Amino acid sequence: MPEVVVPIGPYHPALKEPVNFKVIADGEIIVRLELDLAYNHRGIEKAAEARDFVRVVPLLERVCGICSHSHTTAFCKGIEEAMGVTVPPRGQLIRVIVAELERMHSHLLWLGVAGHEIGFNTLFMWTWRDREVVQDMLEELTGNRVNYGMNAVGGVRRDIEPPLVARCLKRLSPLEERIRKYADMVRHEPTTLARFQGVGRLTKEQALAFGTVGPTARASSVDYDIRRDDPYIGYADIPFDVVTDGQGDVFGRTLVRIGELLQSVRIVRYALENLPPGPVRVNTPRGAPKAEVLSRYEAPRGELAHFIRTNNTDKVERLDIRTPTLANWTSVAVSLVGSNLADIPVVVAAIDPCLSCTSRITIVDPGRRQTSVMSWDELRAHGIDFYRRKEGV
Amino acid sequence: MKLSERIVAWARLKSPWIILFNSGACNACDIEVIAAITPRFDVERFGILAKSSPRHGDILVVTGPVTRKQVKRLRMIYDQMPEPKYVIAMGACGATGGVFRGLYHVVDGVDQVIPVDMFVAGCPPRPDEIIDGVVKCLELMKADMKNGGKAWRVKAPAPAAEPKPAAVPGTEVTA
Amino acid sequence: MTNASPLAAEDVMKAMEGLGSVDRARTNRLRVIVSPERVREAILRAQGSLGCDHVIQIGIVDNGRVFELHYHLTGPHRTVVTIKTELPRDDARIASSHDLLPPAGIYERQIHDLFGIVFEGHPNLQRLILTEDWPEDEYPLRKDWTMRPDRRYGGSTPEGT
Ligand code: SF4
Repeated sequence: MPEVVVPIGPYHPALKEPVNFKVIADGEIIVRLELDLAYNHRGIEKAAEARDFVRVVPLLERVCGICSHSHTTAFCKGIEEAMGVTVPPRGQLIRVIVAELERMHSHLLWLGVAGHEIGFNTLFMWTWRDREVVQDMLEELTGNRVNYGMNAVGGVRRDIEPPLVARCLKRLSPLEERIRKYADMVRHEPTTLARFQGVGRLTKEQALAFGTVGPTARASSVDYDIRRDDPYIGYADIPFDVVTDGQGDVFGRTLVRIGELLQSVRIVRYALENLPPGPVRVNTPRGAPKAEVLSRYEAPRGELAHFIRTNNTDKVERLDIRTPTLANWTSVAVSLVGSNLADIPVVVAAIDPCLSCTSRITIVDPGRRQTSVMSWDELRAHGIDFYRRKEGV
Repeated sequence: MKLSERIVAWARLKSPWIILFNSGACNACDIEVIAAITPRFDVERFGILAKSSPRHGDILVVTGPVTRKQVKRLRMIYDQMPEPKYVIAMGACGATGGVFRGLYHVVDGVDQVIPVDMFVAGCPPRPDEIIDGVVKCLELMKADMKNGGKAWRVKAPAPAAEPKPAAVPGTEVTA
Repeated sequence: MTNASPLAAEDVMKAMEGLGSVDRARTNRLRVIVSPERVREAILRAQGSLGCDHVIQIGIVDNGRVFELHYHLTGPHRTVVTIKTELPRDDARIASSHDLLPPAGIYERQIHDLFGIVFEGHPNLQRLILTEDWPEDEYPLRKDWTMRPDRRYGGSTPEGT
């Protein structure tokens, strides 16, 4: 069969942040991948140079609505480091609580999306229903469901009252039970086994060489987690385990994410039970002295790096953001080579890319000079159908 | 109205199909729209279905400011939708550009590119507000059907405006 | 992997001998300042004797005078080794390191797109971030860049849409 070029994107209904990539396929087998990122490029890094710290925080919150707390925490802790300010312990633990709840909502969202990609919509609906429990907690803690507006340079903007702590603790146990159920389900359900196992495999050497981060790397037994390796905002004192897995395929990534969900429950519970008394925020000077900070943060999708340069004013001279998706992207290109066209949705979804909406695929067949347009949904359907014929799932 | 037209109108009002398009949003608006599909909010009980092809859609939900790269694509999607088409712009960004207003790679609100029928406020709007926005849009559709098109909504041109006072220095909005 | 102990400044100094000065930017970040021609050599040495196996980021700063490139590397020791170099504004070019650090390929494309730095030897230095019809010779993240009213930046027609 002749080679076909399959441009995917930039619209996609289940993933976020539009990305377009051209898949060059030989029949069903993928030969090469080219990508076109950044349909969502808005120019935030430039705007950050023109606004003062107080106004940059809400802007950074909106780099990505899913990891909103990650970006603001990475920025705030960088600026605090430059200023030489320490956040009071209570403020730090509140940051940890919101951060871990955010990780839970992001991983549950991912589990649902991955289920949707393989045609397992029941899983999608279930995880998203449980995700609402997390959203409720976040709303009560911070005042908003998604862009929390919790962080400020010097601490957090809201305190947690004891009744709220009790309410949140009560919600955690049923949630934990549900997560255990998903762990069980994913391990035994024929659909997930057939579509996840052995798909998009990355060896440890590849994972290291291609600079993967986060759950993608940890599923290939790369033991790398910034929360432990470069502890920030109080993670040094919190007991938790770094979840790794040796399988390196989409199945391994799923198990790692579910394991992390359980760890997050543990961290949130510990933090809620051990909230020290005291203030949640300190006053900070207006400007920051000349400094250069590399602020790293373990976002739900992996290591996030903010490289901040300050210059004695109340604005940053430069803010360079490296998002986890960009780091993981090279590995997608590699792990897809040699696999089936039908696996694209799962493998792309498996790094949990911050892509966005609606996908359109044009299949150009140079041999027969045919062009047909396929939406991401049709590709998804093709994948589901392909495996139904092949494996009967 | 012919019988077939009546059936189409009835179907459109009872079960509008929605297309979600991210024109440069921060994803928060998108996940809230998706959350509206899932069991807690479950818009399907109102007959609202999320579709992925613009050719099937009645209502286009656009999230976010429009980035320069997406302008053409948003236009294309809008042009592909069958008439009568309705557009809902989500969130602060959809209305004015929100926090991203004036950045070098955005052209601000959705109404800079395509006509918008409804704005939903919030950053991001809650799923219940999104549902409310869609229901309000249905009422608008009904009114349009009664009046035979969207033309009735256009207000008569305002009487010759008084000369504007000179802008206070420093308050001009720059692009 | 985490049992490896953090790097000491002396280790880095020894590894980078003759390349440039080493200083401690933060408790667990060490910085080496080298000249642009020797960046590849510094990366090789960091990978070899310092065991760095992960590139965190290629940070770039336009400080108004020169472009600074910061290659942040780390390894099992979890110490960040930053290789810093400076490029002149008028002729910003440097050898690509995509073959030494595979993920650098995509970071370099991004930097090229936003700052106009040429990475020599990069196999595919094409547009990555900006819109297709953005003017070729404008790099928005440079400090001296402003939008020119007489130019079109893609996405909008002259009438304003
Ligand atoms: S309105 Fe707010 S939540 Fe929605 S896209 Fe804009 S910044 Fe994000």
